Amino acid sequence: MRGCPACGARLETPLGCNACGVLLRPADDPSPFEVLGLEPTWEVNKTDLKKRLLRFSRLLHPDFHGISAADQKELAEANSARLNRAYEIVLDDFLRADWLVAHLDGPTHSDERQMPAEFLIEVLEWNEALDEAQASPPDSPERGALEQLVTTLNRQHEGLLAEIGRSLTPLPGRDGSLLSEIRRQLNAVRYLSRTLFRIRDLRFGEAPSA
Amino acid sequence: MGYIELDVIDDRPKRIVIGIDLGTTNSLPALWLDGRPQILRSDGESGIVPSVVSIPESGEPIVGAEARARALVDPLHTIFSVKRFMGRGLADVELDLDMLPYRVTENENAVVQIEVRGKVLTPPEIAALILREVCDQASRAFDGAEVASAVITVPAYFDDAQRQATRDAARLAGIEVLRIVNEPTAASLAYGLDCRGEGTIVVYDFGGGTFDVSVLSIEEDVFRVLATHGDTHLGGDDLDRTLVDLMRAELAGELSADELADPAFLQAARLAAERCKVALSSDPSHELRLSLPDAHLSWRRTVTREELEQRIAPMIERTIAGCRRALADADLQPADVDEVVLVGGSTRIPAVRRAVEVYFGRTPHTELNPEEVVALGAAAQAEVLMGGTREILLMDVTPLSLGLETVGGAVAKLIERNSTIPCSHTEGFTTYADNQTGIDFHVLQGEREMAADNRTLGRFQLSGIPPMSAGLARVAVKFHIDADGVLTVTAKEQSSGVKAEIEVKPRHGLTDEEVEGMLEAGFAHAREDFDARRVADLKAELGTMLLAVDKNMETARSSLDREHLEDLLEAVEKAEEVRGGDDLDTLQRTRDVLEQATLPLAAVLMDDVVKETVTGKKLADL
Repeated sequence: MRGCPACGARLETPLGCNACGVLLRPADDPSPFEVLGLEPTWEVNKTDLKKRLLRFSRLLHPDFHGISAADQKELAEANSARLNRAYEIVLDDFLRADWLVAHLDGPTHSDERQMPAEFLIEVLEWNEALDEAQASPPDSPERGALEQLVTTLNRQHEGLLAEIGRSLTPLPGRDGSLLSEIRRQLNAVRYLSRTLFRIRDLRFGEAPSA
Repeated sequence: MGYIELDVIDDRPKRIVIGIDLGTTNSLPALWLDGRPQILRSDGESGIVPSVVSIPESGEPIVGAEARARALVDPLHTIFSVKRFMGRGLADVELDLDMLPYRVTENENAVVQIEVRGKVLTPPEIAALILREVCDQASRAFDGAEVASAVITVPAYFDDAQRQATRDAARLAGIEVLRIVNEPTAASLAYGLDCRGEGTIVVYDFGGGTFDVSVLSIEEDVFRVLATHGDTHLGGDDLDRTLVDLMRAELAGELSADELADPAFLQAARLAAERCKVALSSDPSHELRLSLPDAHLSWRRTVTREELEQRIAPMIERTIAGCRRALADADLQPADVDEVVLVGGSTRIPAVRRAVEVYFGRTPHTELNPEEVVALGAAAQAEVLMGGTREILLMDVTPLSLGLETVGGAVAKLIERNSTIPCSHTEGFTTYADNQTGIDFHVLQGEREMAADNRTLGRFQLSGIPPMSAGLARVAVKFHIDADGVLTVTAKEQSSGVKAEIEVKPRHGLTDEEVEGMLEAGFAHAREDFDARRVADLKAELGTMLLAVDKNMETARSSLDREHLEDLLEAVEKAEEVRGGDDLDTLQRTRDVLEQATLPLAAVLMDDVVKETVTGKKLADL
């Protein structure tokens, strides 16, 4: 990475300099990995990631620029938002894989909307179980069956992400058919997360409306 | 060091930066001083400003303890719990309406308005009066220093409209807002400074009008909120209401429906309920009593703690459900929590403590005063913002998801709840008809899937898109939530560069013009001559105190010992003499002397049961 334009020190993040404290306006939109000073990889060390978040937040957070000039204040807002989003993407397995596939010029969710074929039959069954539970009273056996469903869905979720992780380690080339396969798996992961979320809301009672 | 500008000529502190807890029931200022946050209070005072405003016949508003004292004698013109109306419309507060002794309407922007003595006041204007009083009190407590700016706290679960209404209130009060900080987060800061602990903590904040729960991770002096949940309409007021309902039900035979809805009845019932609830936190049973001389009613009935607990159990359960959600969002189990910190007056209730203890499986931390901890945290945050310390850092989240309505009436979420702020997200949209030159955006906040079930933050249009086939326009919509938790939305058509930027002016919010108008009208006393204001306040206060003494003179003569009576008579005489004058120091001194002299009388007037809870209160508060 380049040196700091103000003091020359090596930059850990394009958003500012930890050595002299200056905030920088990155020339082009830096990637989430660049923001965190990392190479794009599937494997991430989550402890290290959090340490970076905390260290860079101490540099960038608007709280520390409360009495700075207006342009630095504005930069603190913008750069903190970049950092927070970058951390969110790199930390989360789904978002990280999603970003890596796009980074390798693979298909986006709107380009490839299918799920893996073997998945479809099961999705139909799960949806049915969920609809039944939703239509049944809280103490019914249909609701009780959700417990089992959650375990199954969680296992599938973990399994798929592990598989995606293997495909992305080391980072593959721009292999169209592999990336399409990963995208289909990601679509399944997305479905699973949403379904698990739906079940959770069902158990908590629906979120209050406005 | 504190943020105090020293005047080199007379070496007196001039301007301070404070933290303000703007509460539903009480408000409180704090200042960072000698390396720690401290409540700003004058000698012998609690520092608490009751969040009550009363408009007497003169039209000059009375704020704080005095206003609260007027709730019974002038219920129609005494406004309490205004925080519940901030950034809300009439439909949002329907439940509260039958409890309110004054008239509430709505303006064309769906902003709640309260009608008092022919004046129409919005919640931010009333909150501004409270903020002004808090600042004036801070000044008094700190040698006349002027409050330059402030960190003001809001419930974590406040939505955009409620936050903006709080900002408007500060602007109307002439206070520069350094930052809007979430109450539980501020509390965690005070806790962290006090205990120096690391790990996962939960702040359970059950106040007068709102409930919040926040899950935080503290490490390396960074206080990072992982998840938050809450209910901006669940607090001590609702607990009191269960007892008011009890009174109304049991008095239905004795009083007519009109009498049960009478302002005087409601205020008296509300205050009696609150008193009874507070007493039941220490006593196993307490007498709920109501006397309305005008209705020839003197009613009493014993309420046991068990009975109260039964009535409030569903509300306590709702708070625990909130804890469950917050923990699930943080991906944690109750056992992962290292410490639970209690905040807010309602956490003094034993049943509340018990429920928290059972759910988290640990005794909550109660060493900090739950009524002061939020203001203390706000003062610490003010210190950070003024560059005083870089030791601690707060990283907060946005409590509710934000998105746009899509063509089918669903919501496209741009920012998920519990995202760390500041945060931004950009999403692409396109036209769905050929030659469509404008796109309407409907900005929403909430968790539900369909737009109609969420709260509308605002609507705006991007116009001037060059005619092209459907689906070709590339419109990037950017949401940015700043460190105050307030949203800005920008939209840009990328092929033509057409741009629209809106600061989302929430429905239920004041427009800039309205705020300007209010500032000009000066009702909220923005940046008024401090001394003149103080003189007027002192005169009004003297008037109220004299009235109270006069009313109880008979008791004074029969019950006070000679020395106390003489002191009182002397103080009254002096007060009568100086209240016509305009000298600030004389008025202040006289007021202080009179207050001291009325304390023995106040003690006599309290019956034994009440004595314990209100010792140290002024006569005018009784």
